[in-house]
Amino acid sequence: MMESKSFPGNVDSLDSLREYVGELSQQAGLAKKPTYSLKLAVDEIATNIILYGYQEAGLNADFAVLSEITDKELVLILEDVAAPFDPLAKDLPNAKDLTLSLEERGIGGLGIFLTINGVDEFSYEYADGKNRNKFVMKIAAT
Amino acid sequence: MTEPTRPPWQQLIYILNQLYNIKIMAFQIESVVEDQVAKLTLHGELDSLSARVFQTEIEKIANQPIESLVLDMEELNFMSSAGLRVLIYSKQKIGPKLSIYIVKPQELIVDTLTKTGLQHSVTIVDQYPV
Repeated sequence: MMESKSFPGNVDSLDSLREYVGELSQQAGLAKKPTYSLKLAVDEIATNIILYGYQEAGLNADFAVLSEITDKELVLILEDVAAPFDPLAKDLPNAKDLTLSLEERGIGGLGIFLTINGVDEFSYEYADGKNRNKFVMKIAAT
Repeated sequence: MTEPTRPPWQQLIYILNQLYNIKIMAFQIESVVEDQVAKLTLHGELDSLSARVFQTEIEKIANQPIESLVLDMEELNFMSSAGLRVLIYSKQKIGPKLSIYIVKPQELIVDTLTKTGLQHSVTIVDQYPV
């Protein structure tokens, strides 16, 4: 059974969004480090949805967090109604970009890099007029 | 809507809880500039909302001669790429000679700095002056 909770599409929601992700992680029994990585990943994607999908487009809408906890994994889906945007379509910073000094750096791509890097699976789909960013965290067998 | 009436002791606990929640959740920043060293102490969580506050502080100090930017992160519990962007912005705004020191960052924030290769451009220290 998927659980669903919606948040207003503005940056003031990020705090409560992270808190909610923290609660789900706790229910799923995730350790501190994967919990932080998931919070970071969800925060990064939600920030993109809010700033570019909604605010820049002049769209005033909510986004939803769908989640499901099984004994193997925590699945979390961010669902928004902005124009189709695939975060994976953009070039990620490569190994060379990550060695550049601060003065030489572009500022894009770090968020999605941290997202993909921090979760066990990340995928994107556009269906029924909605963007769906899916995050999967494996639950360690005890 | 009126607040429910509570016995005074409960009211006190309620207020303390509220204050505690505000203290741990909200982002706060204090800054001191002295002898070309800008020391900023960050508390709470640094996301794309609070990064604006951080960036405004950097803009305030950027027109002064600053050699070192010291960021005390001991009380910072979360930092997204919006925070990293302000680090990059600081160097670009204040100048390439700026030294950035990060004092006592939490382990998970060090992970983020390492993964993104930013630890090469900043110095992570236990205290400042080093």
